[in-house]
Amino acid sequence: MATSLSSTQPLSLAGPIGFVRRILALVPGLLLLVAVGYAGKFIEQSIARYTKSHHITFPNIEYVLWAIVIGLVIANTVGIPRVFQAGVATYEFWLKAGIVLLGSRFLLGDVLHLGGISLFLVAIALTLSLTFMHLLGRTFKLKPKLTSLLAVGSAICGVSAIIAAKPAIDADDEDASYAIAAILALGAISLFTFPLIGHSLHLSDKAYGLWAGLAVDNTAEATAAGALYSDAAAKVAVLAKTTRNALIGFIVLAYALYWASRGQAKEVGNKAVFLWRKFPKFVLGFLLISLLATLAVFTKPQLTSLANLSRWAFLLTFAGVGLRTNLRELGKQGWRPFAVGAIGEVFIALVTLGLVFGADRFLPL
Amino acid sequence: MPESPAAAPRRGISLDVYAVALSLLLALLVRLNLIPAVKW
Repeated sequence: MATSLSSTQPLSLAGPIGFVRRILALVPGLLLLVAVGYAGKFIEQSIARYTKSHHITFPNIEYVLWAIVIGLVIANTVGIPRVFQAGVATYEFWLKAGIVLLGSRFLLGDVLHLGGISLFLVAIALTLSLTFMHLLGRTFKLKPKLTSLLAVGSAICGVSAIIAAKPAIDADDEDASYAIAAILALGAISLFTFPLIGHSLHLSDKAYGLWAGLAVDNTAEATAAGALYSDAAAKVAVLAKTTRNALIGFIVLAYALYWASRGQAKEVGNKAVFLWRKFPKFVLGFLLISLLATLAVFTKPQLTSLANLSRWAFLLTFAGVGLRTNLRELGKQGWRPFAVGAIGEVFIALVTLGLVFGADRFLPL
Repeated sequence: MPESPAAAPRRGISLDVYAVALSLLLALLVRLNLIPAVKW
């Protein structure tokens, strides 16, 4: 399976020569991300131009979907040669840079308002999801630590959460790989189902964005699922997802303490240090840029430039989402982790949809 | 087959810090008008 760099995976800087070599090794894959992403944008624009000039009514298919589909086709037909893999794996770096730059499109007041609502909903959804996933794991007789990883992955933030939790609870590599494969497969399915459900329920951009941000596991897929609906929905989806990501440390800490109390994981030392290590730092960058935008540090054209830089970064991310999804590898995993993940995801999607409907009615979204 | 992310060693500066640093650098360049307007 094509793998991804995680939020916690470091870049080794073993001397300047090593650093330059590592950067050069990224170039082929980066060029592939640019080519796939730009091809998606080109196809969307070409179809729009053609249908407009020929007066044909045709639904606009967003560049997001084209970029993902092109990536999927390449990854699952010719495959991704080794020389491209390191560069393709940087898609998560571009995702984070894109989120930080997206901060320029939010006033800090809006972040606190929508973030506060998201936090409230995330807390309810998390409690219900984690409880339900553990019940499911027991029913399907999964190994307890695999269940913990699946629960963290589906309730918080997909692959990053699994990678953060794995050493903390001393889980097996095999369990982590199963959980990652299940979460990636389910993320790919959500990409195509969420926009369809959102449209059929006539959800507003804000309600849909909130739903995607609360329910879709990986940040890349949540952003893409939002962008497939609308630009405004993507903005809200990223904010809701970022709120969810910010809680990763607390949940992983709770699991680490639980497994340590059972003598099946290392004791946690300084809890504040543990929380800081697991905290996704890009959230701070997002808040800083949002604060600068609120303080009118940037002019309007400069804010437009920052928003467009964020879009370009997301374009590379969406290309990477398709390129790293290997359907054959995903199919090789056992059916039970996938079944637990899938049932859990449906449960989480329904719970969060109910919460979003409630919030839409009773809270000023 | 690249190394599994689950088995990756965890040391050094995290990817997040690089992403934040690049974003802040770009924001600074935009603020000082050192790069042309970015179009979409």
